[in-house]
Amino acid sequence: MTLRFLKDEPYGTTRAFFLSSALWFVTGALMGLTDATHLSAPELLAPNVSWLTFGRIRPVHTTTMIFGFVGTGLLGAAHYMIPTLLRTSLFSERLGKLSLWVWNLSIAAGGITLMAGYSQGREYAEWIWPVDIGILAAFLLMFWNFFQTAQRREERILYVSVWYIFAALVFTWFIYFFGNAVWNPGSGAITGMPDAILAWFYGHGVVGLFLTPLAVAIAYYVIPIATRSPLYSHTLSLIGFWTILVIYTHIGTHHLLQTPVPTWLKVLSISGSIGMIVPVMTVLVNLWLTMRGRLGYLHADIGGKFVMAGLVWYILTCLQGPLQALPVIQRVTHLNNWVIAHAHMGVLGFSGIIALGGIYFILPRVTGRPIYSQRLADIQYWLVLLGMAGFFTVLTAAGLVQGHSWINGEVVYRTLPQLHPYLVVRASIGLLLVSASFIGLYNIFMSIYGTRFSRNTP
Amino acid sequence: MKMTPSLIILGSIVVFAPVLLIAVILPWVTISDAPSEIHRPRTGIEQEGRRIYVNNGCTYCHTQFVRNIDWDLGAERVAQSGDYIHDRPHLVGTARTGPDLSQQGGEHPDDWHLAHFINPRHTRPESLMPTWEFLGMERIGALTAYVQSLGFKSADYRVQRQNEWKRKAVEAFEAGPEENVRWMHSMVPEPCTRLPNPYPTTEADLKRGHRIYQGFCIGCHGPIGDGMGPAQPHLYPPPLNFTILKDRGITGGILYYQIMNGITGTAMPYFKRELESEKIWAVGNYVAVNFIGQSDAGGEPRGIAASYEPPRQE
Repeated sequence: MTLRFLKDEPYGTTRAFFLSSALWFVTGALMGLTDATHLSAPELLAPNVSWLTFGRIRPVHTTTMIFGFVGTGLLGAAHYMIPTLLRTSLFSERLGKLSLWVWNLSIAAGGITLMAGYSQGREYAEWIWPVDIGILAAFLLMFWNFFQTAQRREERILYVSVWYIFAALVFTWFIYFFGNAVWNPGSGAITGMPDAILAWFYGHGVVGLFLTPLAVAIAYYVIPIATRSPLYSHTLSLIGFWTILVIYTHIGTHHLLQTPVPTWLKVLSISGSIGMIVPVMTVLVNLWLTMRGRLGYLHADIGGKFVMAGLVWYILTCLQGPLQALPVIQRVTHLNNWVIAHAHMGVLGFSGIIALGGIYFILPRVTGRPIYSQRLADIQYWLVLLGMAGFFTVLTAAGLVQGHSWINGEVVYRTLPQLHPYLVVRASIGLLLVSASFIGLYNIFMSIYGTRFSRNTP
Repeated sequence: MKMTPSLIILGSIVVFAPVLLIAVILPWVTISDAPSEIHRPRTGIEQEGRRIYVNNGCTYCHTQFVRNIDWDLGAERVAQSGDYIHDRPHLVGTARTGPDLSQQGGEHPDDWHLAHFINPRHTRPESLMPTWEFLGMERIGALTAYVQSLGFKSADYRVQRQNEWKRKAVEAFEAGPEENVRWMHSMVPEPCTRLPNPYPTTEADLKRGHRIYQGFCIGCHGPIGDGMGPAQPHLYPPPLNFTILKDRGITGGILYYQIMNGITGTAMPYFKRELESEKIWAVGNYVAVNFIGQSDAGGEPRGIAASYEPPRQE
């Protein structure tokens, strides 16, 4: 039985990661829809059912999406890119699958314990200690697998995607370890304002140094292949890589600009946030000059198309990010749905859509046949894109209504009826994402296990 | 630059370590842990309530820091880092789907919180908050103790004031309607008790009053103003039955003052932060016309008519 779950087959790890990601997308989207419904009509869905209550489902939604859907998809792609770019095979498929089991069980245990009412209460770090240990162990197993693969490589030169994947694993491990205050198992926190600072060092870093580098690694991998054009510049790759590591790590305190944290730290985080334009634009310019004039090739490839859409959201997110780190802007945008829109842009629009792009680009290469249905993937593409654009529009508008009302002296309670129509539209848009997740699950499952295409079709 | 696995891994650690030092450890060791002037340690039951707050994700909708640009609840005091020295985990929060709670303690009496936790729409008809009845009375009690401690010493002062006035309000209620109304009117500053509502009753005004009544009052005073709203079983003294005000010296000024200022000690909160002048006059007149059956709107003495007013009926 154990051996069946850990079966040693070429690219089996990547396939299992992709299928898990698709399953987590469905779970996370349903959780999101549940909470969006609660906000539209608080007593519509099973009031007084403890584990379905807004405050317990909300962290399940965020952690399932970050680690489950997007994280698992990106890591699956990494398990393909590392051996392929190093011209060897993965050190151990069995180890890869073991790491996935530890990973999936940790995410599931995290979700279940949160619904049962065990939380550490810090955003994206809510999972209790045993789950944290599982996640850290899974990262260690993956790191070891990649490291051993690199030791056995045939290709001496490391392509930029490989840099990002290794850096992502190293950074994520440390950020997760320190951010969850793993040395304090009971609380997973330190005390006072330093805990807020630590928590946002983590909260910002866990998307910025886990999801971002892995998504950028996929973009660097997919775009030159899909557009049949060599990467524009090695120097730009180097600048983009090192600057993101130096700058991104500094800026978590921009979540706390209006709280009593030291002013010098606020200044550091604001300057760093503006400085983020450097790594982001370096990467995007490098990729743009690679694909320039060849967008037709990119859009002919379903994976390439997703990656391109993800990069557009990356530009938007990373221009909005520095802007909303300015205190004068935050007077309006902080503490309201504007920020929720931004979070969806980063995790779903940018890294989520790129994860899907990675899945559809790599699936044919790990199954040896085309994806089950190009049409379904196309439908999913448009549903995710429309859903994301809808979330952005509605939540940003709602945030502006809230922010402007508050600085005009309206109390929170008075703004709630004004929010209602936006929240109802947001929940309806959530249905698009739920449909997209189910379509993706079906398509990915059939691409791996279906029999419509025979194995020897290229 | 030749990139190798060891360069990437070691380079990452070389970048990470100083950043952690600067952005986390340095503030951690240099932030003062001196308590602010309002700070005090939490009691056992308050800690227990905080645990429930953490486990149920209250922090996703309620912040616990007041900014210098705020007008809402607690805006009288901007947050200081000495307020947080015992907080583990921190709960400053990132969203205000509900109000900031850092100065919530003593804002309402305990029975208001009980009604509100059982179903937030009992006391706040347009709230988005989930119902918490599933927690059971014991845990709702602990949560209430925690919420009533928010603001520390300032909260203790306010809670004590709630308790003092509750004693007097209960005494007046138990002395019967006549005495209760007399007591309530006597608590309104004298110039207000003689002030009629200066604005005449109009259809638009009654409609506005109806809208405000539904959004703010109906949970306690009920749809027919008899004090039998859904919150009633949890509140003592119970919400006022407006009909007992008839022929007992009620004026527009008394209604205005009581809505603006609330009756500390009872579940009746003040609405001066939430409702502008026109809305308070409008809802007061809605109650006077529909539930009391006596309105002095537009009556004598009155000043110069506001420019929008329709011709007065002499």
